[in-house]
Amino acid sequence: MESSWKLTDTQLRKWLSGLLDGNSVVAPVEEDGVLLFRPIASEDQAVVKPSGKTRWSPKEFLFPRSEALYRYNFKGGTVQLEDPPVPEEHQVLFGVRSCDASGLVRLDEIFLSGTKDRLYAARRENTTVVSAACAAADVECFCTAVGYSPVGEEGSDVQLVPLGEDWMLRVLTDKGRDLVSDAGDGWTAATAKDGKRIAELEKSVAGQIERSPVNREWSQVLEEGFEHGAWDRLAQHCLGCSVCAYVCPSCSCFDMNHEANAWCGEQCRSWDACTFPLFTHHASGHNPRETKQERYRQRVLHKFAFREEDEDPFRCVGCGRCVSLCPAGLDIVNTVSAAVEAIREEGADAAR
Amino acid sequence: MPLAEAVPNPYQPSLVRIHDFLDETPDVRTLRLQFVDDNEAGGFAGWEPGQFGQFTVFGAGESVFALANAPWRPNGDRASAPTIECTFRMVGKVTSALRAMSKGQVIGFRGPYGNHFPVDDWKGKDLVFIGGGIGMAALRSAMLDVINRKSEFGDVVILNGARSVGDMVYTDEMPGWQEVDGVEVVRTVDPGGETEGWDGEVGLLPNVFEGLGLDPDGRIVIACGPPIMLHYLFLSLGKVGYSPDQVVTTLENKMKCGIGHCGRCYVGPFSVCRDGPVVTWAELNELPKDY
Amino acid sequence: MTEANVTAAKSEAGAVPENWKPHIVALVCNWCSYAGADMAGTTRREYPANVRMMRFPCTGRMSPLMILRAFEQGADGVLVSGCHPGDCHYVQGNLVARRRFTIFRSLMDFIGVDLKRLHFAWVSAAEGHKWAKVVSEVTTSVQEAGPLPSFEHPEGWGGIDLPEMTGSGPQELDEQRLDAIRANLRKAASEVLTTERAGVVIGYGSGSLPDQTHPVLITKTAECEKLEWGQGCRNNLGAYVGSALEKHERVAVVAKTCDLGAISGLIREGQLRRDQLLVIGVQCPGVRDGSGLATKCLSCSGDPHPICDLVVTVEGVQESCEDPSAAALDTPDARDEQIAYLESLPHEERWQYWQRQFGRCLRCYACRAACPLCYCSTCITDKHRPQWVPTSIDHPGNSTWNIIRAVHLAGRCTGCDECARVCPADIRLDLINRKLSLEVERQYGKIGLDPEEKSALVDFRMEDSEEFIL
Repeated sequence: MESSWKLTDTQLRKWLSGLLDGNSVVAPVEEDGVLLFRPIASEDQAVVKPSGKTRWSPKEFLFPRSEALYRYNFKGGTVQLEDPPVPEEHQVLFGVRSCDASGLVRLDEIFLSGTKDRLYAARRENTTVVSAACAAADVECFCTAVGYSPVGEEGSDVQLVPLGEDWMLRVLTDKGRDLVSDAGDGWTAATAKDGKRIAELEKSVAGQIERSPVNREWSQVLEEGFEHGAWDRLAQHCLGCSVCAYVCPSCSCFDMNHEANAWCGEQCRSWDACTFPLFTHHASGHNPRETKQERYRQRVLHKFAFREEDEDPFRCVGCGRCVSLCPAGLDIVNTVSAAVEAIREEGADAAR
Repeated sequence: MPLAEAVPNPYQPSLVRIHDFLDETPDVRTLRLQFVDDNEAGGFAGWEPGQFGQFTVFGAGESVFALANAPWRPNGDRASAPTIECTFRMVGKVTSALRAMSKGQVIGFRGPYGNHFPVDDWKGKDLVFIGGGIGMAALRSAMLDVINRKSEFGDVVILNGARSVGDMVYTDEMPGWQEVDGVEVVRTVDPGGETEGWDGEVGLLPNVFEGLGLDPDGRIVIACGPPIMLHYLFLSLGKVGYSPDQVVTTLENKMKCGIGHCGRCYVGPFSVCRDGPVVTWAELNELPKDY
Repeated sequence: MTEANVTAAKSEAGAVPENWKPHIVALVCNWCSYAGADMAGTTRREYPANVRMMRFPCTGRMSPLMILRAFEQGADGVLVSGCHPGDCHYVQGNLVARRRFTIFRSLMDFIGVDLKRLHFAWVSAAEGHKWAKVVSEVTTSVQEAGPLPSFEHPEGWGGIDLPEMTGSGPQELDEQRLDAIRANLRKAASEVLTTERAGVVIGYGSGSLPDQTHPVLITKTAECEKLEWGQGCRNNLGAYVGSALEKHERVAVVAKTCDLGAISGLIREGQLRRDQLLVIGVQCPGVRDGSGLATKCLSCSGDPHPICDLVVTVEGVQESCEDPSAAALDTPDARDEQIAYLESLPHEERWQYWQRQFGRCLRCYACRAACPLCYCSTCITDKHRPQWVPTSIDHPGNSTWNIIRAVHLAGRCTGCDECARVCPADIRLDLINRKLSLEVERQYGKIGLDPEEKSALVDFRMEDSEEFIL
């Protein structure tokens, strides 16, 4: 079902402009010097480049930082509940890097498994993802070290592949086909040579990523060394904020609170993170993860261990944001390899 | 049909009214709740012992309590709407607000959530229920289920422990349980917690349990209480010769969503709200020490 | 926030409806102003009915959070009123409050709140007539200001360009001289550990990205070789001293001059004793932020400050012990021009500028985590009985958080800029902090390095300025 075309930047912009009709288009824009995903009003606002990524992932357009789960009014001695309307407008996430597109799939695994999340499901259904493969790695990138690819197709409905000045546009799903619709009539079909460019890009970007790969067998080692003393050393400079979790494409933890006044209120869901002490703090005072080291370990293991099946992908997609933005310079990949090394050398039970 | 319309809002609670309550101790209260709208009760799937619910005080927030009364199974011969009971201790923002509510007021309920005690697997076996403090609340549903159909089970010992006499829950009901043939209720308070005229045991739960000298053979232990009590109880159980798969407990991690999404109740790969809260000691040994 | 938000009553298009009347919240002290309002009532003085009163024991009890809460819930104006100076039922509550509100008011102005909406007054129990007059004046003033602008993303707003910041920065240190400093630093650290002058040295180790370091806690002399020095040494290591003291009796900390203010603040505020701390001041090449020197470095010489216990330079290691009471951080700041530019803009534009920034806030609390002076065991934003700072990660709650964070540091922050550095959303917290420092300095004198000195906002003088108080 694949169809692919070669587009000039002007053709791409024209297509993007057309998408603004009837869709809410979310694309990288520059705001006060920060590259962020925002709904755009015109195609010239979008910053779509062969490489480089936004400050944080576009996950907030499926899983907003905060949203009302239901609302209520106090009336006549009882309570009236109101379901929030499900989002109906179709949205296009445009220019999403492959790592971020995979991150969205990691979110699906949480919100659409078991009991489905209604608001997430509605947004997901109304969202088409146009991803942009990478022509170069940022300094913090390590997707290839954790089993992902700079040209990965996971989570994309349409993929844009940078070909120098031009782009190859590939339709990957029915949703993607709907988005291209008859716009493709005036485009030039991509050649086999263009198609080869994907593998070349993958190879060249992988070559820029110097980190050694995280081995899939390490999950087991990390789980066995849960109580190993290395964790205490490795995370002693963690400051206990949640930059890592909030900029992460696949972190999905949230908190639920009531925000209310004397007349009405709402059950509100907001992002939360396992790095905060209150995350697991019982009302009784007991906290299973008392120290920041235990909390940081949870984040690392949730990305690289505790996988249901061995063949499941790591929950870390390798965007590297948590490395470049950590106030204390913690590096998740280095932590994993150092922990594995210590556990192997000293035995899983080496004390703190 | 679009997906979103097919998916109900998992977070919107049903309204339940406080029909009655009983103050167990100065800070523990048992609520009896009834659905405001009987139709909602009709769609309610019933519950099994060990499952829990999310209880909402509108304006304050949600709190997780075990469903504490005998299980309600809609496919049984019950035509009437279920009554939900829960026992909670006033410790935080929500429980304090809940404690301040009076009869007739409306709160929210969603659930039931989680897995349940394998009560049917216990048929023909001797059972020991061990509850420490408010931990009894998590056992009560299973205990009442067993007592209601006692003939299907062997001997039942109920060990109810509290810090002090004033902290003991379900004191009004215990004589009734004791009257059932083959049920023995043992009450104990921590040393120093006894008062004049106290006719129960004095001692820490694990020690009192050991003192009962119950033969492990063919017996199931169902225990619930604070982490420190369980730690010492498991040591005692091991010493006396119980194997880890004879012992059932519940994990009490902090929970918010109830459906395995919000991430806070995870113990390794195990989501307490979705895969638990009921676990055997054997299963617990497989999990990282993160609870 | 909830739908009942009274702002909902306001016109959607932004135009003020003809019959619009402002909502004003008055926070009044129980002993004077509340009684004064009562007096106004019993003597049947007429005054506008737009004011909703909330009674507090004392103006000293009123936190800026309460004012923020009123705005966040839709008040168009706030009046704070209490006893005249000298008449406080609790002796000095209103005098401390006067300083607090002086500073808070200047911050509100800076983030674009029209000061026509924010008023302070002294009204005694006998001044029924004054209460009526104050309420009339305040109502007229808020009426003029119009409805409170929304807490929201300024859609379509083009933004402003702040003036470029300039400065020469510290003396350049080539790799050879940096190597010399590193060697001296390692030697100093090693000696500190061998001679047991401290149980741990908090310093910088090399990070995984180019030009990045991370804090290291070194307890063995052999590990001193890990100590790094250069333009990647960004963290203020004062943030680690508290936790290190849980394990060690005495802690040595590597410090740049810009880190010292916070460290001496910790001593001043009783978080640690001077004798628990060994400060190793190191000659600094300035730190990089993005592509260039960090703002704070533009006007800094990079020389280690003489109040440090050990001073490490290219030349070697020296013991030093200058009396901190005489020491000051003399910092003309490259930011001041930007602050002046912002202040020259109409407040509507400042509001848009800051709303766009606050809107990006993820509430990751990195600003709090990185700040050595944010040491409260439970932060106000984590307290939920009551929930002062809304948990929702959107404009109203984000504004409250970012404002209250700065307010809690006013008179204490000495501009190490850690909060701004670690902010993933590039919110210019440094401008807010600097603005508050300037205001504190203008009103109450410089924030020095003397650990004996009292922080300006827990202190007062009878003659403190109060020209804005009605």
